[in-house]
Amino acid sequence: MSKPKTKARPTAGDAVRAKKRKKLGFLAKMGYKKMITYPLAVFLVALILLAVNFPTLGIDLQGGVVVTAYGVSANPDELAKFISDQLGVDVRVESFTGVDTNGVRVYAPVGTDPTEIIKIMQQKYPDAEYTHSEVQPTFGEIAQQQGIRALVFAFLAMAVVVFLFFRNIVPSMTIIFSALSDMTIAVALMGLFGIELTTATIAALLMLIGYTVDSNILLTTKLLKRKEDSIDEAYLNAVSTGFTMSTTTLGALLILWLISTSQTIDNIAIVLIFGLLADFMNTWLLNAGVLKWYLSNSARGGSE
Amino acid sequence: MRRKTKRLLLNWRIILLILFLAGSIATLAVKPLTFGIDISGGVALVAQTEHPVDSDTMQLVVDSLQKRLNTLGLRDITVEAQGDQIVLIKVANVSTAEQANQIKAVIESQGVFYMEFNGVIFGTGSDVEYVGIYQIKPDNSWSVPFRISKSAAEKFAELAKGKVGWPVDMFLDPPVNSLMVVPDSVYRLMNSTEFNAEAPEAPTLMERISKAFNITVVAYANQSADEIAGLAEGKDKIVLVDVPQELQSGLEGMNLTVRYVPRNPGESDHQLIVRVLGLYGPYSLGEGLTIGEPQQDVQITGTAPDRLTAEQEASTIYTVLKSGSLPVKLNVVGMEFISPRLGENFKTQALYAGIAALIAVLLIVYFHYRNWKIAIPVASTSFFEVLIILGFAALINWNLDLPSIAGIIAAIGTGVDQQIVITDELLSGERSTKISRRSSVIKRMGRAFFVIFASAATTIAAMSFLLVYFVGTLKGFAFTTILGVLIGILITRPAYAEIAKYLLGED
Repeated sequence: MSKPKTKARPTAGDAVRAKKRKKLGFLAKMGYKKMITYPLAVFLVALILLAVNFPTLGIDLQGGVVVTAYGVSANPDELAKFISDQLGVDVRVESFTGVDTNGVRVYAPVGTDPTEIIKIMQQKYPDAEYTHSEVQPTFGEIAQQQGIRALVFAFLAMAVVVFLFFRNIVPSMTIIFSALSDMTIAVALMGLFGIELTTATIAALLMLIGYTVDSNILLTTKLLKRKEDSIDEAYLNAVSTGFTMSTTTLGALLILWLISTSQTIDNIAIVLIFGLLADFMNTWLLNAGVLKWYLSNSARGGSE
Repeated sequence: MRRKTKRLLLNWRIILLILFLAGSIATLAVKPLTFGIDISGGVALVAQTEHPVDSDTMQLVVDSLQKRLNTLGLRDITVEAQGDQIVLIKVANVSTAEQANQIKAVIESQGVFYMEFNGVIFGTGSDVEYVGIYQIKPDNSWSVPFRISKSAAEKFAELAKGKVGWPVDMFLDPPVNSLMVVPDSVYRLMNSTEFNAEAPEAPTLMERISKAFNITVVAYANQSADEIAGLAEGKDKIVLVDVPQELQSGLEGMNLTVRYVPRNPGESDHQLIVRVLGLYGPYSLGEGLTIGEPQQDVQITGTAPDRLTAEQEASTIYTVLKSGSLPVKLNVVGMEFISPRLGENFKTQALYAGIAALIAVLLIVYFHYRNWKIAIPVASTSFFEVLIILGFAALINWNLDLPSIAGIIAAIGTGVDQQIVITDELLSGERSTKISRRSSVIKRMGRAFFVIFASAATTIAAMSFLLVYFVGTLKGFAFTTILGVLIGILITRPAYAEIAKYLLGED
């Protein structure tokens, strides 16, 4: 691509961007009260959801045994009954499908011998590929504490850095609140869709801290530092960039989610998708609404 | 046009990118990537020490585990301490679940070993320097030769001087600092000369363990749980031996650590005591060791009624000596087994997923800008970034596990985002200010890089806590994320900005 064959026609790009701006124009016309109210309402709903339906903890956080068999297609309920009867312990079975394999996961309580489960399953599926893992509750507890500490520390570190960069209370607090709301909504959606809280999904939540702050910083920078444009113009500029950013990342994550059969990667991808969707709302409505309100109230139009 | 191309290629940012790319490709060609257990197959075990230990003790644990697993003939073992209580053991090339469980059993059976004489501990497992092959003679007597450290030999020589026939005890995982509640018959047996080898004048077993391990033994006489709790004050745990089991729940209700040991069918008092204490011996002290001269090469001997029993006794003590070199007891608290064939699947999947995600980025970026001159550089910059991260990982032998791959994905995600920020800043200026283009390009880039640095700084700040403080699998995630972000802001982002300026800014 060193030598483009056709002369660049920036007008084509301009047309696309103009169209995009027009499509997103409704956002710019929204009053800042509405912009602030909707995301806050969603945040509250997420809090309520969390209170009534917190995601279950995965076995790596609470202890337990899981045997995964690849190359098996089975009715989960029948299989669960079959294994429970032979093992004398109640098990839960979940099936999954990927692009090239499908399989089942068998969850059993702490203390069950995974090789016993494999032996029982081999009667039915001798050719399947088995893996297993087991976690004691004591280690689950350590992992839980560390996970919570990791989230809290990462969040605080992010907050400090945001303050250092903007040195301005209202915009900084808004960014920090947006990130908090993104994570809260992502966790609430996890509960809703039955995705377990595991070390992998905690990693995904940590990733969200990094991801979501990006677009907020972009917006804040554009609105506070770009003084040659009007607020609405700067906002539209930022939204159009942000929209491109989010859809690109979402697309890549969706592909990842579709192709991988690794539970770790799948769960990370889906949690990030939840978070990015939440972030779209939080950045371009909540954060933007607060900034618009802040800028229209402050005569100087932001510091620096 | 040509001059501009030349100027672009001579730009230090582009040169830097090319250098790093060439370096990475060369590294990858010479040193292939290594993968974590969750991708290459094998077993990963998380073991926890019984209580937090200092770093020296932790190092001993790591060394002895490594040695022990090596003697089993296993290859590709990594043992890594994390924090003051967690040891991570990874063994590659384990192909069956049974094999995986065997490794777990080996780690758990590795106990804390003590050698005790006259109530004094003169050596632990780490003092056992070498264990010879055991021998069994035709008269069914057996012997296990071994070598103890110089300091243990000296200590022992002093203790044992003139004490021919006195009992030498060895313990594997005795209940250190505990209160033992035992039936009356057991109490009387422990307080007799039953365990005194050939020296009735030596202190009884009960006196010896009390002095050496602070184990207090009481006879059960219908004491209530409260009374027992009172006796156990200051002890780590209570061991209930063959007494009513109701006591256990009562004591556990008071938040005390309780171990309940029932009597096996047909088990004698003697057998029960030996089992509860993890006692090997007592062995009678031979005359040669009582002259006060330190001797490092010693042996344990015994006689058995038949050859099979002799074999069993000898091999047990052989195994105990060989394995009992941990300074603290370990419990396996987590284990994950991935069969190698499955791991292979994950690897190809990760590769396909990565390529597909890159293509998705390419197409979506094209869709947004309708301009290949943006889409291709954005996607290829991301691709370069992955190459450089992988090259770096290969260089420092970083094991790529699933969380590490997730970290790479995260870095790519933010990378694409930041490239779009740069692109949009460049494009948005195109229409408005043609005249002062140069200065305005610089200004806009400044703004784009402010956003980029701010978001990179937040990511690095958030992740560095994980990298430094936390145990478990999230380290790989933090490492690749930070690495990716650093490579991004230092190498690929500035280069992309130059390329984008060249392609878009000035026709």
